[in-house]
Amino acid sequence: MAPTLMAARRVAPRAFGTATQQVRGMATEKQIFNQINATKNIQKITSSMKMVSAAKLKGDETRLTKAIPFNQWSFALCPEPVEVEDATCPYDDLPQKSLLVPFTSDKGLCGGINSFISRATRECVKKLHAAGKEADVVVIGDKGRGQMRRFVPDQIVRSATEVVAPGTFSLASALAAELMAAGAMEYDAVVLIYNSYVNAAVYKQKYKIVPPFVFEGESEVSLSTYDFDSDKDEAMADLYEFMLASQIFHSFMDGAAAEQSSRMTAMENASKNAGEMIDSLTLRGLANNHNRVW
Amino acid sequence: MSPPVTTYWRLAGMSYLQYVNKAASTMRGALKEPAKTKAMAQEAFQYNTSVWSGGVQGAKTPVTSMGAAGK
Repeated sequence: MAPTLMAARRVAPRAFGTATQQVRGMATEKQIFNQINATKNIQKITSSMKMVSAAKLKGDETRLTKAIPFNQWSFALCPEPVEVEDATCPYDDLPQKSLLVPFTSDKGLCGGINSFISRATRECVKKLHAAGKEADVVVIGDKGRGQMRRFVPDQIVRSATEVVAPGTFSLASALAAELMAAGAMEYDAVVLIYNSYVNAAVYKQKYKIVPPFVFEGESEVSLSTYDFDSDKDEAMADLYEFMLASQIFHSFMDGAAAEQSSRMTAMENASKNAGEMIDSLTLRGLANNHNRVW
Repeated sequence: MSPPVTTYWRLAGMSYLQYVNKAASTMRGALKEPAKTKAMAQEAFQYNTSVWSGGVQGAKTPVTSMGAAGK
């Protein structure tokens, strides 16, 4: 059997190649060639996406370095951001009734950046409920919207999608207005959950608690050592609005930079994998060719 | 002289953030070209918002200005 097959293949490799080689579970030369071409095209796309995000990352980094000092003052009135340590994060510093705001994006192909935020939010809601606390969610970004709808549909009160980056303070103000409309003042705290950019290869999930000011009551009244020109209650409500916008501005910039760096890494890995695939396919193609010729 | 009871922009029904952004916008509008076009582009933004109730997403509303945000 074998010698005849060999002879047949030598006479007309195109006609017989497909049938005999598929029996042996091998792709034909043509199939391998097509696959190599397809993989090469994908590699071109991923490597250009990597270049684009590397260029965009520069802009995002610049905006972030400007947003950090801009928002620095608010940490005199809010606690510092806390890092989310995966499943072990206790979220025990959150008050009785919180409004969670996960910052995600609309675009994919950027690694697990949006999933990390969604997972952190889901864990947070779960742990707060277990501790007998309440939590509602205002989700930013379409990826987060999709995931939160599966995880905690009943907790979502509002969503903002197709948010166009790069963010500006106008955008942050508008998002703050959305939070105010969702009743931010009636919660014990607004909690912003976002990705924090460390460097081009590392980002971390963090949450920021933005508590409203205490106007009266037994506990310590906020800014009690200050005198106000105008009505104090009004001034503090305005200050809270501004603080919220400022914190959102910073979180948004931080998240945008982290997303871009993550996309860069993801695309770099994809290009590398495509390269490996092309190499192994080429080898297989060569081996096939070798078998056929000899 | 007694301090003002409230601010004039609050009387006009604006929130503080609306007021701040309006002021910034007016300031940008006072610039000369070509700086004006460049600065004005900075305040443009866009997103869609929807209110949820009982786990169901409501209709999407496009938001492009501070006045439309949080409605």
